[in-house]
Amino acid sequence: MITVRLPELLRDGRGEVVTMMATSLGEVIARLGLDNDERDELFNFAVNGDLVLHGEKQVVLNPGDEVEIVVAFSGG
Amino acid sequence: MSAVPIHARIDRLMRRLASEPQFPTQGQTIFVDLDRQEIRRAYIPRRVVETFLGGRGVNMYLLHNLFDPSLEPLHADIPLIFGTGILTSLVPSASRGNVTSWSPESGVLLDSNAGDYFPSFMKLNGVDHLVLYGKARKWTLLHIEDDEVKFVDAAPWVGMDNLDLRAAIARDFHGVEGKDYGLAAIATSGENLALCSGIMAGPKAIYARGGPGAKMGSLRLKAVVIQGRSADLTPFRPHKTRNRDVAQKLLSASVIKNAMKVRGTPFLYKPSRMLGAMGTKNNQETTWTDKLDAENIDPFRPGMEGCFACPVNCRPLNDMTGCEHTPQDQYVKGDGPEYVTVGKFGPNIGISEVTQVLRLNNICNDLGLDTASTGSAIAWAMELMQRSIITSEQTGGLDVRWGNYEVIERLLFMTAEREGFGNVIADSSRAADKGHYPPEALDYLMAVKGLTQSDPHDARILKAFALGLAVSTRGMDHLRNRVTLEINAKINDDPDFKRELYGGDVSAEPNSYGGKEIAVRRCENIYAVGDSVGMCRFTTKLFNSPTLPGYEEFVDQVANITGIELSLAQIDGIGLNIMGVERMINAQLGVGRKDDTLPKRWFEEAIGVGPYKGEKIDRNEFDQMLTRFYEISNLTADGVPRPEWRAELESVLTS
Repeated sequence: MITVRLPELLRDGRGEVVTMMATSLGEVIARLGLDNDERDELFNFAVNGDLVLHGEKQVVLNPGDEVEIVVAFSGG
Repeated sequence: MSAVPIHARIDRLMRRLASEPQFPTQGQTIFVDLDRQEIRRAYIPRRVVETFLGGRGVNMYLLHNLFDPSLEPLHADIPLIFGTGILTSLVPSASRGNVTSWSPESGVLLDSNAGDYFPSFMKLNGVDHLVLYGKARKWTLLHIEDDEVKFVDAAPWVGMDNLDLRAAIARDFHGVEGKDYGLAAIATSGENLALCSGIMAGPKAIYARGGPGAKMGSLRLKAVVIQGRSADLTPFRPHKTRNRDVAQKLLSASVIKNAMKVRGTPFLYKPSRMLGAMGTKNNQETTWTDKLDAENIDPFRPGMEGCFACPVNCRPLNDMTGCEHTPQDQYVKGDGPEYVTVGKFGPNIGISEVTQVLRLNNICNDLGLDTASTGSAIAWAMELMQRSIITSEQTGGLDVRWGNYEVIERLLFMTAEREGFGNVIADSSRAADKGHYPPEALDYLMAVKGLTQSDPHDARILKAFALGLAVSTRGMDHLRNRVTLEINAKINDDPDFKRELYGGDVSAEPNSYGGKEIAVRRCENIYAVGDSVGMCRFTTKLFNSPTLPGYEEFVDQVANITGIELSLAQIDGIGLNIMGVERMINAQLGVGRKDDTLPKRWFEEAIGVGPYKGEKIDRNEFDQMLTRFYEISNLTADGVPRPEWRAELESVLTS
C-alpha cells in the first residue's frame, strides 16, 4: 500500500492522505487523474521526502512508500 | 587614464540625443546635476530604443556613455540612473523599473529592479530616465511635478528610516503613495553608505542589489518624489484589448492563481529544503527545518498587496499582533517576507522560528537593507567565527554565532549606523578587501563578481542555475537568468516541449551539464527584455511557468503603444544586446572569463543530504559548459562581444 499526501489544491473532495496499491509513480499519477497534457506544471512529486525532478513515471514504488505532491515552482 | 568630467560626458551625449519624442508615450531623459542644481532634458533616439528598448536596456546605454572607470563607484561623477520600462504602467503587471550605476558593493555594474509605484509614476509623469550626478551641497529631496523639478532641502527627513519617512512624506506632500505620488528614498543605512543598503521604492519594494542606497547617499540625495499624472500616454493605437489578453494569461497561469496570489514566494522554501538544496549556514549545509515552510507563515498573513495596476498581488503582508514571543512594537507587522528573506534570515544564519524571520524582515525593510546581501554578510561572519578566523575581538564582543537572534537583531541596527561590528557587515562582500578580515576569509565568501548570492537555493545540483549565477553580469543573482523550470519534472520529461521552450536540446537531468547553456541563454535574453519593457520577473514567461506573457505579448504591446514594430527574433536579439553592453561595461573594469565562475565551496565540497547527495560542480564540465555558453552568446573566449557584433553595438552606443 502506498500513501499519497495531497496538497489542498488537488484534494477535490478527497482527504489530505489517500492510500492506494501502486508499483510506480506513473500508476499513482494515473490514478489521481493527473496523467494528461493539461496537468498543472506547478506540482512535483516526492517519494519518501526526496523530490523527483525527472523520469517521474518510471520511479518504482515499494509497499509503505509515501508520495507527497509538492507545490514546486522555483524562482522568487 | 585621466578622468573626463561628467559635464563633458553629458555634453557629448546630449549632442547625440533627440530634442523631441521619438514615438507616442516616450518620456524625457532628465539629467540632474545635484551639485549645481541644474537640469537638462532630452529624448532617447529611436535607433537606441530599437536596440535596447527602455528600462534596464537604455540605462545601460546611458551608463556606457557616462561612466568613467578611472574613478570610484561612489565618486559624484559616476551617475545613478533610474529607468522605467517602455510599457511600465501601461500593461498589466508591467510596473517595474531599474536603477543602474557602478556598484560600490561588488565593484562591477550595479543594476537593480523594483516595482510598487515609483517606476509607474516616472512613466505617468513623462520621465523615462532620470540621470543623477554631482554631490548635493546639503541633503536634498528631488520633487518632480507637472514637468517641474525642484531641489528641496531634505533636512526635515534626514535620519528617518523607511516607516517614519513614508509617513512623513505622505503628510508633507499631502497625498497617498501609489495613488498621488511615487517615492524612492534611502533610509539611514543609505545615508551612512552601508554597501548592503538599497533604495526603498515602497514599504518593502527595494532597489536592492549592489548597494544603490549607498550610491544615492553618496550624492546626498535622500528621496525622489514624483507627484501627479501629467504625461500624455495616448498610445500609437488601441492596446486595451491586448491588455485583457495579458491579464487573462496572467491570472490563468497556475503558478499565479494557486501560489503567487495565495502565499507569494515563501512557497519556494519547501521544495529547496526537500531537494537538499537550501543554503544553510553559509552553504555549509543544504537542508533546514520544516518550521519555515510557507504554511507555517499562514497564521501571520492578514492579506496580500501588489504593485501599480498589477492584478496578481503577490506580496504577502505579516502581522504578529498578540504573539506573546514577539515585541509589540513598530516591527510587529509589515510587508513580506519574500522567499529570499526567509532563506537568508532563516537557514542561512541558523534561525528556525517564523516570528523571528518575520521580525528581521520588518526591521530590514525599515532600515533599507538588502536582505540578500545583509543576510549573506552575517552568515559569512558567522562561519568565520565558527572557524576562528575572526574572534570576539573583531566583533566587539558580540557573540556572532548561528541562530543567536538577539545579536542578529542588534547587528542590523548597528549595520545601518556603521557602528562597531556593524561597520564590518555594512562593508558586505568587501569586508576582507577593506581589511576587516584576513585574506583567507575570502575562501568562505559565497559571492560571484563581488556580489553575494540572492537566491538562497544552493546550486550545486542544478547546473543551469549554477551557470546562470556564474555568468550573471551583476554578480551572483538568480533574477538575471535562472532556468527556474529546471526542477519541473513534467517539463523535463517532455523533450519536444522543452526543445520548443528553450530553442535547443537541454538535458532532462537537473544535475547534467548537457545543453544547459541553451536554456540560460534563452532565459537571460527574455529576462533582459522583461526588465526593459518593465514586466515583473515573476510574471514573465519561463520564470516559473511556460504559459506567462512573453515575447508574443511584448512585441504586440510595444507596437500598439509606441508604433515600433519588432519581430520575435528582433526582440530576442535586444535581450542579447543588453547582455552585450553589460559585458562591455564590466570589461572596462577588468571583468572577464576568470570572473564567470562560482564560489570555491561549490567546486570542492559535495552536497551531504537528499536525493543528490554527493553532487558538486565539476570544474572541467563547468568550464566546457561556459565555453559553449560563450559560443552561442556571440562572445569571445574572454566573455565579451565578438568584434563584429561589438562594432555594431558601438555604432549605436557612440554614434
